[in-house]
Amino acid sequence: MKVYEVFIQVRPGQAHEHAGSLDATDMDMAMALAMQHYGRDQKCVHVWVADRDAMRGSEATGEPVFRLTDQDYRFAKGYAEVRKKWEKFRNKSDVEAYQQEDLRDFF
Amino acid sequence: MTSSNPAEWPEHIRRAFADLVLAGADDDFLIGHGASEWTGLAPMLEEDIAFSSIAQDEIAHARELYALTGDLLGRTADDVAYGRRPDEYRCSSLVLRADEFDWSALIARQFYYDHFDALRLAHWCESGYAPLADLSLRIAAEETFHLHHVDDWLVRLGRGGSQDARQKIQAALEAAWPDAVSQFEETAGVADLAASGLWQGGGGAAAMFGEYKAVIAERIAKAGLRMPAGGPDPAHLPPGGRRGRHAARLAEVLDELCEVYRLEPNAKW
Repeated sequence: MKVYEVFIQVRPGQAHEHAGSLDATDMDMAMALAMQHYGRDQKCVHVWVADRDAMRGSEATGEPVFRLTDQDYRFAKGYAEVRKKWEKFRNKSDVEAYQQEDLRDFF
Repeated sequence: MTSSNPAEWPEHIRRAFADLVLAGADDDFLIGHGASEWTGLAPMLEEDIAFSSIAQDEIAHARELYALTGDLLGRTADDVAYGRRPDEYRCSSLVLRADEFDWSALIARQFYYDHFDALRLAHWCESGYAPLADLSLRIAAEETFHLHHVDDWLVRLGRGGSQDARQKIQAALEAAWPDAVSQFEETAGVADLAASGLWQGGGGAAAMFGEYKAVIAERIAKAGLRMPAGGPDPAHLPPGGRRGRHAARLAEVLDELCEVYRLEPNAKW
């Protein structure tokens, strides 16, 4: 007997979630049992089975795997401020003077 | 033991400590920039995403170290990162090595750097200045993934079965070796830092190099490759990047990196 991990999809389009594991002699038996154990008792549209020996987990060192340094620039959230800054800039009375100066410099 | 408040440190100690941290910040900044140039060009899509993420990690590490240096010098992180002359940078020549978009040259550079950085951070964790010790601990945890990544690539190129790949990575390791050793040049005033209890210098350049060599020799052997021989003496390196003496390439890279900042140094982003 080998251990198989079972993943079920509750609704179409959703990610498969780990549902549990079971013992079986081969993949066919694992699928048949998974359908019985996990696919029928609860609402579910699709089932995956995977040989546990074919899977690998990260080393369980207890070390965190998420980021510990500030990397907020990875999230494109600063753009919300651009409109506010732009409007503030446009409302300034000296914009027109600046533009005229700009035109004089370049044309 | 020196005060935990840098404002109370003698000027030469503050300068020496800033130089020490800048060596790490500038290394991260430039290796991260070099890595980011590969975005869109790595050998396969998943690697492209992973390596671009590594580039962003390095820039993040640089940013936090620049902020820490800025606190010591009374400058903003942006000002420290972008507002210096080339001779005020403290990066080593390794991070400035051009790779000509050759993957083996990139992996050799990254391999030598990531292992050096991990070792430096391990020693910085023992710093008497708590903000550096704490930050080093956080950065080191992230660097673990960089080591996994680069060690895997070394084995892949060395033992993947392609004679071409094996020869290329071996040649790249040999070519970059003198620059790898040059990372161990000490910044000015390291001895003063040891006396002040702020940092013990990792036991000196020769001791740190011994630790480094043992680790990378093991990884290189695991990849079925030969450890490069010779190279400069890490304990007697001529003044180089850590003392602000750089190849002309640094100024060219900085012209590109600092282009936007120099347009309007006081702009608020």
